[in-house]
Amino acid sequence: MNVYAIAYKNLLRKKTRTALTAGGIALSAWVLATLLGFNRGYQQGLNRDIDNMGFQVLLTAKGCPYEAATLMLKGGTGLRYMPEAVVKTVYKNPEVDRVTPMLMHGVFDPDKGENGAVAAYLGVDAGSFPEMKPYLEFKQGGWFSDNNAYMAVLGYEAAELEQREVGDKMLIPGVDKEITVAGVLKRSGSQDDGTIFLPIGTVQNIFNRKGLLTGLGIKVKKGADISALENRLYDLPDVQVVSMSAVKATIMNLVNSARVIVLGIAGIALIIAMAGVVNTVLMSVMERYAEIGIIKSMGAMPADIFRMIWTETAVLCGLGGAFGIGLAFVTARLADAAVRYFLPYAPNGALVALDWRICASAFVLIVVGGLASGVYPAWRAARVRPLEAIRIEGEQ
Amino acid sequence: MPGDPVIKAAGLTKVYSRGAEEVRAVDGVDFEAFPGEVAAIIGPSGSGKTTLLNMIGCLDNPSSGSLVVGGRQVFGAGPLSERELTAVRRELFGYVFQKFYLIPTLTVEENIMLPGAFYKAPGARDAYEVMKLLGIERRLHHLPGQLSGGEMQRVAIARALVNSPKVLLADEPTGSLDSRRTDEIREILRGLASGGIAVVMVTHNLELARSADRVLEIRDGRVHKAK
Amino acid sequence: MRKIFFAMAMMLLAPRAFAAVGCDLNDPDRDAARLFPGATYKTSYLSLKTSGGVPLLERVEARLGDKFHGLYETIDVPYTLYTMYKGGAAAGYIHGVNQKGEYGGIQVFLALDKAGAIKAFYIQKLTSRAAKALRSKEFAAQFEGLTLKDFEGYDPVSGKAPAGSKAAAIKPPAGAGADFAAVLRAVKKNLILMDEFVYSKKAK
Repeated sequence: MNVYAIAYKNLLRKKTRTALTAGGIALSAWVLATLLGFNRGYQQGLNRDIDNMGFQVLLTAKGCPYEAATLMLKGGTGLRYMPEAVVKTVYKNPEVDRVTPMLMHGVFDPDKGENGAVAAYLGVDAGSFPEMKPYLEFKQGGWFSDNNAYMAVLGYEAAELEQREVGDKMLIPGVDKEITVAGVLKRSGSQDDGTIFLPIGTVQNIFNRKGLLTGLGIKVKKGADISALENRLYDLPDVQVVSMSAVKATIMNLVNSARVIVLGIAGIALIIAMAGVVNTVLMSVMERYAEIGIIKSMGAMPADIFRMIWTETAVLCGLGGAFGIGLAFVTARLADAAVRYFLPYAPNGALVALDWRICASAFVLIVVGGLASGVYPAWRAARVRPLEAIRIEGEQ
Repeated sequence: MPGDPVIKAAGLTKVYSRGAEEVRAVDGVDFEAFPGEVAAIIGPSGSGKTTLLNMIGCLDNPSSGSLVVGGRQVFGAGPLSERELTAVRRELFGYVFQKFYLIPTLTVEENIMLPGAFYKAPGARDAYEVMKLLGIERRLHHLPGQLSGGEMQRVAIARALVNSPKVLLADEPTGSLDSRRTDEIREILRGLASGGIAVVMVTHNLELARSADRVLEIRDGRVHKAK
Repeated sequence: MRKIFFAMAMMLLAPRAFAAVGCDLNDPDRDAARLFPGATYKTSYLSLKTSGGVPLLERVEARLGDKFHGLYETIDVPYTLYTMYKGGAAAGYIHGVNQKGEYGGIQVFLALDKAGAIKAFYIQKLTSRAAKALRSKEFAAQFEGLTLKDFEGYDPVSGKAPAGSKAAAIKPPAGAGADFAAVLRAVKKNLILMDEFVYSKKAK
């Protein structure tokens, strides 16, 4: 028989109340673990999605438009070129994981609209470009494998406009060259949807731009310092650096604001649970006032009583916390689905990513919070004077 | 007189203030209890007998007067802290109350062992031995709710005895019991006294008081009669 | 700068669900004024899916004499109907369809009067070796005044019209080949859709 056994048995005295309080704690632990898991999962997913954007840095010749849309606005003019040798220079930087050269070209098509318009083609490297854009999926066909083939891959909207399917022919206006469609991409929601991709060698040949590039996509090694790399690239002559890391930083800022809100909610859940704990334990102390007095008359020191009540709180929080975290594991996929339903955008992969560290943190938070809220009731109990308890019997 | 008294109280006084009025609940009471004796404190309701018992049992500080328990000066040489009073209580006293105060979720055995969870006296008794002494050894694994009133009071007495106290204080030990159970408890208390313990009880029951070796009758906080 | 990045972020995070693309005028204000001088217009969107579902699709296919095929000619393609007004009263319609050509998509617009006769014929976009001829005024002029009735006998599968019909009288430009047949199929499909969406409903 020891203080811990007494505390445990005390909890069994009012099973429903104990269960309800532990249930409240479990609920908070569930909310806490799920929100912490969500916080982590969302960030991981977002990181993954941003990494899937392919290259984090785009290098273009100074003044050269780097989006087909800009090229079209400029009527297909204004392209500037870098020599292919820049690839080697860029590779010398230790942060660089992979690079992919690109050559954009615009052709005036007189048979588009009333007065003609520009058709843009993006020459890409058959070897490195698909690897940089692993998220691009095909509706039909696949990538071309030869950098000099007369083949094209069309973004979904480009394919729909041109009514092209795999095997269909295309005619490049003005140069009388037939190209065969090798693949049609699924919609990605990015500017790739409206792009016509050709092998880079083919674009260089057809438009007489041998050895030239308009852009170089750079994928940086994981964890490498992108800004250091960008600073070095700024020093290269006649190139401009378009950084995607700034976009990522902006998204992260948005996510961090959301994170503060999420953690705020978790904090509120914790506070509510703790208020429940204070209430329950205090009520149980009040009900056992006389009994605690008797125990003290038997020789229990205030510290013993404090420990007894605190142990009750710890057991309550420990059980509730463990149950809630278990529940969070079981319902993680459900929470995932709910978040996806309510959020306009959710990254791919598990949104509620629970691991032992999150579970341990949630558990520690709940137990520490519980113990903190048990201090007052335990202190009240420790202060009970045996005489007060005995007086309940009444002066004879 | 059988040797030195285990309790020696002189001029014990307890004064309460009720607004501007001073109430002397206990007023200059002298009292002695000896090992092997049963002492009874009787008196009408509100006469101050429980207050006296509380002071004797170190549950309450007297306003004035002195108290020596087991040769140790408890009161009369400056007030004791709650901690010091607890130390005296757990080393010298066992308490029995009218309402038993057994913990309903603990078995008979666990209730009896409860004091041991907080303090184990050097001469602490084995729980089973105490239960056997009180004839409740067959109720070992029962919960208090499954016992009769008499059995519950025996468990409460067993609990008070487990740390081998020098003095057993009982406040209305038979207050909740019928006459047959009262007789049983009287016999038990007498038996304990003959084992060398000083038993001090507060009671309304004159039959029980008559069986005591020493009777102190209190009225309005003062000794009315001492036998 | 922050705003630009925010917009880019939003683009990245935008929900990835799109409907099929229809056939709109590139510059409706200018094009409508050219095809229907002096008129104002109102735009509405229709599709076979919402107007009658599979039975309507099957009826259109039966009247066309050809199945809808390919990735893009589907039941849920939205059609943009420009209803033209003159002096507050409906004066006619402009309606376009996408048609698969040999080297790319062909967008064939027809401006129709209230009775369903072609007022103007316009290929907004095509890629073809005979592009210049197919988009010429002379070629377009051949369609003026024709109605659905004139194309009823035209078989888009074989590319042949009954001898003596007005459709048979339309002269193909030199070297137009498959794209000429594609244009005629687009015209017939356009007229059938207009009949289903507008004229037959009015008749009822």
